Amino acid sequence: MEVFINLLVNGVSTGLLIFLLAAGLTLIFGLMSVLNFAHGGLFVWGAFSGAWIFKETNSFFLAIAGAAAVGIVLGWVLERFLIRPVYGNHVRQLLITLGGMLVLSESIKILWGPNPIRVNLPGWLEGSYQFDGIIIIKYRLFVIAVGLLLYLALWLLLSRTQIGLMIRAGVLDKEMVQALGINVKGLFTFVFLLGAGLAAVGGALLAPYSGVVFAEMGMQYAILAFIVVIIGGMGSLQGSALASLIVGVAGAFMAYYMPDLSLALNMLLLAIVLLVKPTGLLGEKGGAI
Amino acid sequence: MSLLKLDNLETYLGQYHILQGVSMSVEKGSITVLFGRNGAGKTTTLRTIMGFNPATSGSIHYRDQKISGIATHLISRKGIGYVPENQGMFSALTVEETLNLARAKSSGETEEKMEWMMDLFPDLKKFWNKKSGLLSGGQKQMLAIARAYINGDGLLLIDEPSKGLSPIMVEKLMESILKMKEKTTILLVEQNFLMASEIGDYFYIMDDGKIVHDGWMQDLKEDKETCQKYLGIA
Amino acid sequence: MRGVFSKVPLYWGLAILLFMLMFPFVNDTRSTLILLTQIFIFAIFAMSFDILLGYTGIVSFGHCMFFGIGAYSTAIIFNKLDATMPNFLIGLLIGIFLSALVSYLIGLLSLRLKSHFYAMLTLAVSQLFLVLAEKWRGLTHGGDGFTFSVPDIFKDRTSFYYITLISMAIVFILLKLITELSTGRVLKAISQNEDRAEALGYKTLHYKLIASVTAGVAASFSGALYAISLRFINTNVFSIEVTLDALLMTMIGGLGTLAGAIAGAGIIEFLRHYLSELAMTYPIFERWTIILGILYIVVLLGFPSGLAGVIKRLTLRNGRKGRKNREAGRAA
Repeated sequence: MEVFINLLVNGVSTGLLIFLLAAGLTLIFGLMSVLNFAHGGLFVWGAFSGAWIFKETNSFFLAIAGAAAVGIVLGWVLERFLIRPVYGNHVRQLLITLGGMLVLSESIKILWGPNPIRVNLPGWLEGSYQFDGIIIIKYRLFVIAVGLLLYLALWLLLSRTQIGLMIRAGVLDKEMVQALGINVKGLFTFVFLLGAGLAAVGGALLAPYSGVVFAEMGMQYAILAFIVVIIGGMGSLQGSALASLIVGVAGAFMAYYMPDLSLALNMLLLAIVLLVKPTGLLGEKGGAI
Repeated sequence: MSLLKLDNLETYLGQYHILQGVSMSVEKGSITVLFGRNGAGKTTTLRTIMGFNPATSGSIHYRDQKISGIATHLISRKGIGYVPENQGMFSALTVEETLNLARAKSSGETEEKMEWMMDLFPDLKKFWNKKSGLLSGGQKQMLAIARAYINGDGLLLIDEPSKGLSPIMVEKLMESILKMKEKTTILLVEQNFLMASEIGDYFYIMDDGKIVHDGWMQDLKEDKETCQKYLGIA
Repeated sequence: MRGVFSKVPLYWGLAILLFMLMFPFVNDTRSTLILLTQIFIFAIFAMSFDILLGYTGIVSFGHCMFFGIGAYSTAIIFNKLDATMPNFLIGLLIGIFLSALVSYLIGLLSLRLKSHFYAMLTLAVSQLFLVLAEKWRGLTHGGDGFTFSVPDIFKDRTSFYYITLISMAIVFILLKLITELSTGRVLKAISQNEDRAEALGYKTLHYKLIASVTAGVAASFSGALYAISLRFINTNVFSIEVTLDALLMTMIGGLGTLAGAIAGAGIIEFLRHYLSELAMTYPIFERWTIILGILYIVVLLGFPSGLAGVIKRLTLRNGRKGRKNREAGRAA
């Protein structure tokens, strides 16, 4: 029982971190059919800059806010200088975002060196809670709380605000949205920056969670996020949330019982989804939320 | 002075030369109908006006302002409402959300227009919270027209509203469009000659990307030769 | 995007080949021969990628997996058995068979999907191979890798130079033949407009599978040669950088030209060699990968048709200028 609950908590917290990465990916794809291979680069930049700010200021709140700001600035640079010039050309978009990924993760190595960096937990999040002999690590609960909060905020943004309405409509029919006088490119920039910020926050939250950060983890997590986005259905936020939890929890259990096969399990899930329902669990036509 | 004026438009889709020098004008307060067989370039003409398929040469003026060469959302904000072929529903959005979206960047007062649309199409009020993808074909068309009317200001482009609808529904829709003439100018693309000839004031006929004929609607009804040649009506 | 290289007359190619055949007699410094050998090996790899991206318009972000499969097959056979030529052939055939199988299965599963899915899926599968190579320590010794000995003919730098050069020439001719055959024309049609090719009655999936398997097999061959050239292997052969190499080389040389891929391989390998030498004096150049990454982005944004496109443009301009001059001369 104790193992079960622990694995569940692990899985849900990892799943929510993956969700922060997948949310931006899926919305960006839904709105513009741009699959951003550089998204993992924003994640790893969030992790490093968050860890660095935390070390310098000893304020975890500043670390997360700073990471978000770094993610948004880098996202702006990516959108403006890499993605917009090849707008509408899918092949070149794919190719160029992969180049963006390379430059982002290599520049990490230039700034912080090629070796992994240790990251400490903030003092007030160290330790664990005990319920009836079940030990739950505080920081994991914190990650779950922040993840749920951000999911809720995102859901409110999409379902209750005017810009959210525009985004949902844009995912459904981009041309018609323009015909209603809405600037889709501006909307896209907004979504891109939002996604970039979320990815960076995800990275910043992950850093103390895994205790160590390294440049290659951007690609590792990006691949998980890609898998999640496909399983959940491209363009669907809820689908991504659901798939993130599935992948996170399944991964946690696999890592415990069959550690060598966890990526293989995800690939298996992916293969099944692609074969049975290529549009994902909550398919493309369902809308953004 | 015409409200909308197209001057010698040339539009390519990929390597295909679709519009080959299209000139026409739409007078304020009229219903102007654009006829022509499938593939003649009618839809492309509307899409070129909206800026989806920009013309490589020629110009478009709306209220004496040049609107060719600017982005679609800016063209829309000049006051042109657009009802695409197949309605362009945001299927996962409700009727309410769809109409709110129409008001978001609408030019001018929308409250009054909204009310008038509710009077004209009471069904929309009835299915206010229904997902637009679940509406019937006729209701979708009403929503598409209401959305364009509320969003626009002075001109509506409507692309084949009768497509796929039952004759009774077409009849109803035509009455509504005729009523809308009191408030707005309409450029209508239609294959259904009987229906369009009842409500149209002026007509243009397109063939192979060119305007081949134009005139007053009542003259067309008597012009059996033109009807047969271009519209296939005996 | 078919560049000027495809129109370079046959004797140009032969002249270059002849020059390369003579080269060891002119200059046999060890480092130059090694560099050229690397260029030939990566040229094969880049050409295989060009079949996918350049000729068929398939975006694969996992091409390193075939390179790695070929490299590991050869290395493991040499490691477990003796370093003899028959074993080389066995390793090579195993690598080719596995690559063909994997590329066929992935293609069957995902080539009917949109390009994004395929790019993503190939990336994920290639990472799966990376993990596999790291975990299956009994066979691969994990991330540390292992050294192995190779037949004597491969040890001699000059003879290995000739082997790779001739391999490259043969692969070039074979791939050129495929692309010039009717298959190649269908592939080109697919890359330009897949729906239309489908509408014309071609089973596009069938042709995309042919391209995919061909590319996988050729990449596997280059991987085998690569492992032999190092006499060492580790999991780096499955790293995303290898895929990026292929992308960079084909993009810089010019897509859909094969010869462009060879030129691209030459430029990148030369640049890498030069930059890593610079790194000995200026440590900043230790991270030359970022320079290649920036170069890649610049090429994509500014010169989408690569070197081949630039040369084509230049020759066209010169041609026009020449004509103008002649006309001016006549007028005078």
